[in-house]
Amino acid sequence: MELIIDFFFKDPVVRWVLMAVILMCASAAIVGCFTFLRKRALVGDAISHAILPGICLAFIIAQTKNPMVLMLGAFGSGWLGLITIDFITNRTKLKTDAALGLVLSVFYGFGILLLTTIQNSGNASQSGLDKFLFGNAAAMMQSDAITFGLFSLVLIILIFILFNPLKLVTFDRNFAISRGIPVKRLELLLSVLTVFAIAIGIQAVGVVLMAALLITPASAARFWTHDLKWMIFLAAAFAVISGIMGTFISYTLPKMPTGPWIVTILSTIAIISIIFGFKKGILSKVRLRRLNKKKILRENILKCLYHLGEKAGNFDKFWSTWEILEKREMNKAQLKSGLKQLESRNLVILKGNAAKFSELGKEEGRRVTKIHRLWEIYLTKYMKMAPDHVHNDAEAMEHLITPEIEKDLEVHLKFPLIDPHDSPVPYKDLK
Amino acid sequence: MISHVDNPVLELHNLTVTYENKPAVWNVDYTIPEGNLIGIVGPNGSGKTTMLKAVMGLEKPSSGYVKVFGNDLDKVRDKVAYVPQRGSVDWDFPTSVYDAVLMGRYTKQNLFKRTSKRDREITNDCIKKVQLENFSKRQISQLSGGQQQRVFIARALAQEAELYLLDEPFAGVDAATENAIISLLQEMKAEGKTIMVVHHDLQTAPKYFDWLVMMNTRLIASGKISDVFNQELLNQTYGGRLNILTQVGELLKQTSHPIREKK
Ligand SMILES: Nc1ncnc2c1ncn2[C@@H]1O[C@H](COP(=O)(O)OP(=O)(O)OP(=O)(O)O)[C@@H](O)[C@H]1O
Ligand SMILES: [Mg+2]
Repeated sequence: MELIIDFFFKDPVVRWVLMAVILMCASAAIVGCFTFLRKRALVGDAISHAILPGICLAFIIAQTKNPMVLMLGAFGSGWLGLITIDFITNRTKLKTDAALGLVLSVFYGFGILLLTTIQNSGNASQSGLDKFLFGNAAAMMQSDAITFGLFSLVLIILIFILFNPLKLVTFDRNFAISRGIPVKRLELLLSVLTVFAIAIGIQAVGVVLMAALLITPASAARFWTHDLKWMIFLAAAFAVISGIMGTFISYTLPKMPTGPWIVTILSTIAIISIIFGFKKGILSKVRLRRLNKKKILRENILKCLYHLGEKAGNFDKFWSTWEILEKREMNKAQLKSGLKQLESRNLVILKGNAAKFSELGKEEGRRVTKIHRLWEIYLTKYMKMAPDHVHNDAEAMEHLITPEIEKDLEVHLKFPLIDPHDSPVPYKDLK
Repeated sequence: MISHVDNPVLELHNLTVTYENKPAVWNVDYTIPEGNLIGIVGPNGSGKTTMLKAVMGLEKPSSGYVKVFGNDLDKVRDKVAYVPQRGSVDWDFPTSVYDAVLMGRYTKQNLFKRTSKRDREITNDCIKKVQLENFSKRQISQLSGGQQQRVFIARALAQEAELYLLDEPFAGVDAATENAIISLLQEMKAEGKTIMVVHHDLQTAPKYFDWLVMMNTRLIASGKISDVFNQELLNQTYGGRLNILTQVGELLKQTSHPIREKK
């Protein structure tokens, strides 16, 4: 704990570096949301790799490790990579995937070649150039941190200002053009921002893993929300958390590169999102199914109690579990658990092994019964199904039909009084 | 059989659009009268979508031009609404029905502004008009095909345009929804708007439309439905000529032969 506090608050340089990492990760994740939604994830990967030769060339020409100079080189070759991809896909018969593979391997291969040459040349200041492969944010100097932080901030603000048009272009490009929105210019700007975010982000995670910082936060965030604004916010949050933790680890363990740690943490978040995500995660579907099952059980018990009450002409009576089981076949343990759930919702009153309706419960039972019978009438009347074929269908639909559909059914069927099995349709005011 | 009108809402003048030198729309020339419901019919691949895209400036004509309300499109963009084919976007995009319809309120001028109260009211109105008010907050991927189609129509309504171009609004839509949409379009016509609809069902065409554009890469007919909806023109639209035209088109593509002789 003390270590963590020390880490965050003692050293002013660390504070700046941390600030920069936070902004760098956030900007990459925010830009990445659009890359992800425009289905350009692989383009992001290719550009990240295409950046390496630019860094090496900038170093060879300028003979300096000044990050501004290197970043300029990075941006240059990243941009060249992007243009090459577009050129190949638009002007030749090669498909996008081939163009991406080509650019990635040629540029990256050339970059590695340059890097090896520099290392073998014995240039004293070259040591540390290879940190661009896996990133080492902890080694940043204060002035660099401020520069990169500011660049990232500008990026984030630009996206914020352009949010509406970017959303429009990403969702429906043709529609945006038809509205006279300058789509070409927006796309160009978005590309510039993407290459910039990548050129900055490699400080933290390096060339090899940059695509992960760009795309993983967006794809993880997508599992939690159906709203673009929230998705962007969550993606940024995921990236920032990973960035802070990665930097922390790389400070405590000397010589440890930041990139692999940031990406490991990000991947963990992604896996958690895939499983637990509210909106699209695996568990959300399982949970939904389980909730449905429970609801169906509860409604079936209420309906059963209603039928018993109807028959006895008395809804205030306690019914024992075996009387209920006689009326409706189900597992005894299930019935018990269902009754407990109903009690906790104040729908039934339990006394030992017997149960009776509360006012609310009776109303629910009546509603389910009514929908069941209305649906049976609907099927026989409109679907021309035989009366002895409609029960099972209605058993399922009674749990699904919403109050709006219920109303439509009533009006459509003109408030019928008797179902195909001659049971009355229980309306609220009709006793 | 091509009828021309004075003061047309839309004029196509010798319009040709090509893909890789193969014409998809070939020398099409017609005028459209104001305040009508207009059907566009033709077999698959006959260039209907391409023609609408050319009108909206989404495809560049290789020759000819388009005039909307007697002007270049750029001058009157706000008066034209386009409803693309439903399959043209990814419906898994993270946005709600309300937000998608609100997109119809964005123009070049108000892109960076916050939405006004009026924008929000119009958006809600349009959602009601297509009967999606119960789905307003729902994510667009959780809608049926017919509901998604209605989102697109509501978005176009929100633009408050004068000329509407709809590409197959009835594809994958059930009969009840189709009826609801067509009565909505008829209401709009009563308000003096002009609506052009790409349509595939010849059974319902004479019932729905006042005016018909029949095309098969080239224009076959354009005129009052009573004048053009006959067996002969339908045969021309859907029949054997297609074959020759496709063959010539393919030839053009293979040989890179110029479509017009250079003068
Ligand atoms: N982007 C494209 N690139 C190349 N060829 C295209 C492209 N879009 C359309 N085409 C071709 O142009 C011709 C006309 O296509 P278009 O989509 O306009 O037809 P359509 O009348 O809308 O057909 P449908 O009824 O199937 O929607 C077709 O032969 C099609 O293959
Ligand atoms: Mg089409």
